[in-house]
Amino acid sequence: MAKKILVIDDDPNIVTYLETLFQDHGYETAAAVDGNEALAALAAGKPDLITLDLDMPESYGTQFYRRIRKDEKYGNIPIIVISGVPRADFSIKKAVATVHKPFDREELMEIVRGAIGAAA
Amino acid sequence: MNRRILLIDDEEDIRMVLGVSLKDMGYDVLTAENGEAGLALFRKEGPPIVVTDIKMPDIDGLTLLRRIKHESPNTEVIMITGHGDMEAAIESLQQEATDFITKPIDIQTLENALTRVEENIASREKLKEYTENLEGLVLEKSIKLSEVEQVIQNDYTRDEFGVFQSRFRQIFNDVPFYLTVQDGDYRLTSTNRRFAAAFGDHVGRHCYEAFKRKDEPCRECPVRDTFQDGAYHQINTPLIAADGRTFEALVWTAPITDASGRITHVAVLTTEAADVLEVQEHLASLGLMLASVSHGIKGMLTGLDGGVYIMESGLNKERNDLIKEGLSIVKHTTSRIRKMVLDILLFAKERELTVRPVDPAELVRETAKTILPKARECGVEFITEADGSLSPCNLDPGFLRTALVNVIENAVEACLEDKTAKVHKVVFRVSQNPSWLIFRIQDDGKGMDRETKERMFDLFFSSKGGKGTGLGMYITDRIIRQHGGEIEVDSEPGRGTVIEIRIPRDLAADELESKNPEVEGPPALTYGRTPA
Repeated sequence: MAKKILVIDDDPNIVTYLETLFQDHGYETAAAVDGNEALAALAAGKPDLITLDLDMPESYGTQFYRRIRKDEKYGNIPIIVISGVPRADFSIKKAVATVHKPFDREELMEIVRGAIGAAA
Repeated sequence: MNRRILLIDDEEDIRMVLGVSLKDMGYDVLTAENGEAGLALFRKEGPPIVVTDIKMPDIDGLTLLRRIKHESPNTEVIMITGHGDMEAAIESLQQEATDFITKPIDIQTLENALTRVEENIASREKLKEYTENLEGLVLEKSIKLSEVEQVIQNDYTRDEFGVFQSRFRQIFNDVPFYLTVQDGDYRLTSTNRRFAAAFGDHVGRHCYEAFKRKDEPCRECPVRDTFQDGAYHQINTPLIAADGRTFEALVWTAPITDASGRITHVAVLTTEAADVLEVQEHLASLGLMLASVSHGIKGMLTGLDGGVYIMESGLNKERNDLIKEGLSIVKHTTSRIRKMVLDILLFAKERELTVRPVDPAELVRETAKTILPKARECGVEFITEADGSLSPCNLDPGFLRTALVNVIENAVEACLEDKTAKVHKVVFRVSQNPSWLIFRIQDDGKGMDRETKERMFDLFFSSKGGKGTGLGMYITDRIIRQHGGEIEVDSEPGRGTVIEIRIPRDLAADELESKNPEVEGPPALTYGRTPA
C-alpha cells in the first residue's frame, strides 16, 4: 500500500497543489484546512508524514504541532513545516525540515523521500 | 561585563531555546517559569532587561509589565505575544514595553528588539552623562558666580553681575524644553518662558495643578522620587496645556542641592513625546506592513507555482479537469496578486483627492463592471439599484470606486464563505437625500463576529488569513473620511452584512482638504498614544 501524506494548510489552492504533487509521485494523500480537520484526518487513518503550514490564522499550526508531539500514537509521525513566516525553524525545531514558501518542488520531494522513502 | 537579562516564560522549551540564543548574543540569562517567580527574581537581581511571555498561568504579562515599570521605570521590557494578537502587542507598547515579538519567535526579530533596547540604554546613559556634565557646568558657573559676588562685595561695579544673571536667564528661557523648578511642596519656584507660553504663569502654584489640572500630587511622581533618592527620574505622562490640549510628554527630573548637599529643589525638564512617538509609530507601521505583505506574497507565489504545476500535471496525464483546476488557481491567484499590489500602491501613494462633479449612476455602472466577473464566477447574484433622479456630486470617482469595490468584494467573499447551500446575493444600492449621497451594500453571506466588526478598519487586520493584506478596509475607511463621509456597519454571524457609506453632497472641492487635515502626511496608525 502506498505511503500516506497528510497536507495541512489553510489555503485550499496550496492544499490542491501539494496533494497533486504528492499523488504524482505515487503517494496517497489526505488534507485539512484547519486544526480540527487535521485531528479528524488523523483519526481517519494514521499518515506516514505530515506537511504543516505554520502561519495559519490564530497560529493553530503551532498549537496543532505541540498537541501532536505530546500524543503517544501520533507523536512520532515526521512533520515537514511549510511556512511563509521567515525563520519559522525556531518554534518547531524538532520538525524533519522547514521549507519556505515559495518552495522548490524537487527540494521538497527530496526531503519527503529522505523522511519516509519512496511511495511504495 | 555581560548585561543581565531576565527571561520569563511558562514553556520550558522556549526558555531553553531562547536562553541559548540570548547567551549566544552575549547576555547573562536569568530564567523564571511564571510571573510570580519572575517578579521575585526581578526584585532580587534587578536586571536591566526583561523578556516575558504575555500569556502565563498566574500573573499575566501585562500586569507584570506594569509592576516592573512602576518599580523600575528604566527597565527595558520585551513582550512575547501570540501570532496575530496585535491588540495585546499594542497594549503592551502603551504600557511602555520597549518592543514586542510574536510567536513563533524569530531570532532575527528578537535581535532587532534587543538592538533597540541597547540603544535605549545607551541614550539614557548618554543623557545621564550629559546631565552630570551639566552639573559640572553649573558648579563651574557657581564658582564664577561666587567670584563675581566677591567682586561685588569688593564694591566693584554691579553691572557685570547683572549681565551674567541676564545671560543665565536667557539660556533658561530659550532652551527648547519646558523647564521648571519645584520645591519640596510641589510648588513651582521658577519656570522658563516656553513653559509659561504653553501652560500659563503658574509660579507659586503646585506642579500638579499647572501640568495636569489636578488637586493633589500624582500617584507616580518623578519629583517626589528625586527628592527621596536624589537620583534622576524619567516618566512618560499626559499633560494638559493652557489651551486645553492634552499631549503625551517625556519628563526628566534632577536634584538641586544646597552647599551642604541637601536637596532643596528639583529641576524638571519636559518635552513633547509626539515627535518621538510619531517616528516610532511610523516605523512600527512600516515593519508590520513588510511582515504582513511579504507573508501574503509568499503564499500567493506558492499558489501560482501550484496552479502552473497542476496544469502541467493535467497536460501530461491528458486530464482536462486538472488543467481547468490549475488554470482556475492561476487566475484566482493572479487577481489576488493584482489586488495586493494595487492596495500597496494605494497605501503608499500621496492621497490628495481629485474632486469633480460625477454622476452617481455612472459611478455605480463603473463599479459594477469591476465586480460582475468576480460575482459571476463565484455564483453570487449581484444586483444594482439606483434611485431615478440622482444629481451629480463632487467626489473623487477613482478613489471612491476603489472604496466601493473593496466593500463589495468583501461582500461577495462573505457569501462564498457561507457554508449554507442557499444561492447568495449582493445588493448594491445608491440613493440621495438633501445632504447625503448614500451607497448601501447588503449581502446574505456569513456575517461578522464582534471582534471582526470592531477591528475591520484597523490597519493590517484581516479575517482572511494569508489571503488578505489587511489594507483594503483601512484604505476604504480613509477614502471615505477624506470625502468627509461616514461608513456604518451592521452585521451578525449567519445573518449577513449591511454597509452604508454616506458622502456629503454639497462639498466644494477646497472644503474637502480643510475638513480633513488629519489625512495628510504619512499614514498614521489608528492606535497609539494620544496624538498631539
